[in-house]
Amino acid sequence: MEILKCNGIEKVFGKDGNQVTALNGISLSIEKGEFVAIIGASGSGKSTLLHILGSVDKPTRGTVTIDGVDLNGLNATNAAIFRRRKVGLVYQFYNLIPTLTAEKNILMPMLLDKRKPNPDYFKMVVKTLGIEDKLESLPDQLSGGQQQRVAIARSLIYRPAILFADEPTGNLDQKNSKEIIDLLKLSNRNLKQTILLITHDEKIALEAGRIVTIEDGQIVSDQKRR
Amino acid sequence: MWKDYSKSYIKNNHASSISIMSAALIATMFLSLLCSIAYNFWVYDVEQIILDEGSWQGRIVCETLSPDDLSMLCQFANVEKAVINEELSKKEKIVADVYFNNTRTVYRDMPLIAARLGLNEDSIQYNSLLLSRYFIHDPDDATPPMLLTMYLVILVIVAVSLILIIRGSFELSMNARIHQFGIFSSIGATPRQIRTCLLQEAVVLSILPMLFGSMFGILISYGVIKAVNFFASDVSGRHQAVFQYHPSIFAVTVFISFLTVIFSAWIPARKLGRMTPLEAIRNTSGLLLKKTKHSRFLSYIFGIKGELAGNALKAQKKSLRISTLSLLLSFLGFSIMVCFTTLANISTRYTYFERYQDVWDIMITLKDTEILDFGLTNELQDISKIQDATVYQKAKSVTFLPEELQSDELSSLGGLEPVAGTPKTDGQFQVPVLVVALDDTSFLNFCSQIGITPSLDGAIVLNQIWDSINSNFRYKEYIPFVKEDNQATTLYKNDKTLDIPVLSYTRTSPVLREEYDNYALVHFIPLTMWNKTLMEVCEAGPDSYIRILSNGTANLADLNSLEQEIVQLVPEQYEIESENRIQERLSNDSLIQGMVMILGAFCILLAIIGIADVFSNTLGFLSQRKREFAQYMSIGLTPQEMRKMFYIEAFVIAGKPLLITLPLTILFVQFATTASYLDPVVFWSEAPVLPILIFAAAIVLFVGLAYYIGGKRLLQCNLNETLRNDTLI
Repeated sequence: MEILKCNGIEKVFGKDGNQVTALNGISLSIEKGEFVAIIGASGSGKSTLLHILGSVDKPTRGTVTIDGVDLNGLNATNAAIFRRRKVGLVYQFYNLIPTLTAEKNILMPMLLDKRKPNPDYFKMVVKTLGIEDKLESLPDQLSGGQQQRVAIARSLIYRPAILFADEPTGNLDQKNSKEIIDLLKLSNRNLKQTILLITHDEKIALEAGRIVTIEDGQIVSDQKRR
Repeated sequence: MWKDYSKSYIKNNHASSISIMSAALIATMFLSLLCSIAYNFWVYDVEQIILDEGSWQGRIVCETLSPDDLSMLCQFANVEKAVINEELSKKEKIVADVYFNNTRTVYRDMPLIAARLGLNEDSIQYNSLLLSRYFIHDPDDATPPMLLTMYLVILVIVAVSLILIIRGSFELSMNARIHQFGIFSSIGATPRQIRTCLLQEAVVLSILPMLFGSMFGILISYGVIKAVNFFASDVSGRHQAVFQYHPSIFAVTVFISFLTVIFSAWIPARKLGRMTPLEAIRNTSGLLLKKTKHSRFLSYIFGIKGELAGNALKAQKKSLRISTLSLLLSFLGFSIMVCFTTLANISTRYTYFERYQDVWDIMITLKDTEILDFGLTNELQDISKIQDATVYQKAKSVTFLPEELQSDELSSLGGLEPVAGTPKTDGQFQVPVLVVALDDTSFLNFCSQIGITPSLDGAIVLNQIWDSINSNFRYKEYIPFVKEDNQATTLYKNDKTLDIPVLSYTRTSPVLREEYDNYALVHFIPLTMWNKTLMEVCEAGPDSYIRILSNGTANLADLNSLEQEIVQLVPEQYEIESENRIQERLSNDSLIQGMVMILGAFCILLAIIGIADVFSNTLGFLSQRKREFAQYMSIGLTPQEMRKMFYIEAFVIAGKPLLITLPLTILFVQFATTASYLDPVVFWSEAPVLPILIFAAAIVLFVGLAYYIGGKRLLQCNLNETLRNDTLI
């Protein structure tokens, strides 16, 4: 089942004479349950693509459909609700709310919807991520690895259609990096979570089932590993 | 979201919350103060008008008004009551005061009433002064109701400045949190949820400060009214102001403040709502310059630190706008006010106290009294403590002068035409005449003073006219008005004429506390000549005056006791008003002091707003500028150097109002001294340098303190952490 489809995505930054084309006609399709890594050098356009797919940015041209919803047709409010329910985002710099505890940070997408989480699922997620004893801590009381686990937990709490991870290990040491990738693989395997991982590290990309390579805003290769 | 996020944010970010709360408190206090004072001034004004004019709204003035007419008048639907004004009604005219139930329709009802009574519209009078205070204006009057417009303009200006103050605080708080709201947005918070959260936060943070601010404003306005009463207690003709407050003022103040808070929070909230999550997440809240700017002056003096500080100030320009403006206005206002007061003092001293200090000690005004009816002149002149007492009354008339009678000096300066207008067909100029009737003893003394044989058989003409070409009003020079050939002056009023013999012409006036019209021919006559025939060609003023000069060097106690003695001597049937030179001087000083205190307090209030804004900025920038200073540190700036940067910024913020104000104040003084023909040297020798310096020092001190505290707190943070850990953003 196709969970993500994008067609002819273009993204141009700047105006008049100072235009820079970050993405130039990207088309991509991802099936439910896939673990895809997008790899590319710095400035190749991979993060821009992820932001567009995650509906936090809009393409200059082209269409994106996630779980049957055309992102171009969403206004700001509907896009936010869509992000809340259908998309999980994990950033390199965690992006946690510094004044909220880890638990509140994780639950925030549900709280925004005035919904209560399934306690079993919540317990399972925090246990899997190994942060059950850190729930009352504030983000700056946690290590980088722990903060990233909280961010992953937050992205999984709504059981999103797809999880986007933008260089999730970029700010972590080797041990923590491995653990985070293992956790993503675990959630892909156990929860059938579709994952799109952005990285510039080929070793990390090799952990994914499919590797898409981007250069100068274009897909130059798309390989399935299994 | 409110419960989960805002509460914890408020709890963990005291500086930002305090900044918003103080902005709301100060802004509401200012608004409440202004509304309360405006209301009290309005009430006082209405009371004063009622005391002076009465509380009637319409008035009928006619020759006859029968009891039936009066009862018909009272039966008009909107008429509350109608009463004959006994005081103003004379034989030939009846005056009826009309009071209405609904005063808004006075201008519509009065003509109808007059028509019903068979009177024309000339018989109607309106208490338009009082009505205008209730914002009721004659619909036929084309001029706009200025007072109402003025109140509205003031209210709008204040409300806008309040919005700016509060908005400044909210903007700071928002800017520091754009990144966080970006995160919220990226995990699915809708723009509406973010807006609602911010508005809820604004209301929760501002509600108590708004209530307290309103109350503080009321308390301060109470103090202002007390101060006005204290400083103006000796001013004659003034009634005591009683502090009053109306619940609707409170409601209006809180309502406007509430709207202001909502609006102030809504502006940045809307801005935030329009950002894409990506823009918001990428916002690191640092200071950004939109264009390349060079702080040449600062970099020339302080090197690279000056350049960095200058750029930081330019990047903060928007958020520092309120503080810059309020500091500038307060210092400029204060400097100009104290300079103006000094100038006013010098001017009053020259034109009033010094000019008249030897001619009177006590002045008594006998209200509505003909000089002929006053029979105590001799008794007054016999009081041992009195050196000299003159009783006099003034009257106006006109005479006609042929061109050949004007003095040679006047002819050489252009003659009578420029001052008396076009001559009549027979070539004669109409010249105003002021007749001053002196009691006989004083008149005889005046004869002796000017060296003529004392006589009560004619007038003495003050033969002088102001030479406005060769002198200014402050240092007047006079030339002879007429040739001294005429042995009599003919006075005219309507078709009546009267010749009054002239005893002599003089350039000396008797010692009276009077400033005569510049182009009038003043005639001093003895009381003996003040008879019915003379009255027919003159229009006498309603009051008579007694000018008293005491024996020896008078002090306040002596004059007070003498004043008391004189007041007791004058029977109760006379309505009198007495003034005492020293007391008047003290009252004048006290009035000016009061004015300085009240206006000074406003300036200080403005300065407080400015300084509070600087404090809120410097304390608020803690999180905003952490990254900026971490970057400086990473390239090797020492804490001392960073501290120096703060001092440069403080120096610029405090120095700018001072540098702008000083030349403007000098220009103002130059303009004012020129316009009032005062010698600038006199002003500069008395210039209020000390208060201006103290005010300037206070501004520098407090801005320096704000930066000292802000800088110290910033440098105490672990800036290394900031560079790699973004959770602090």
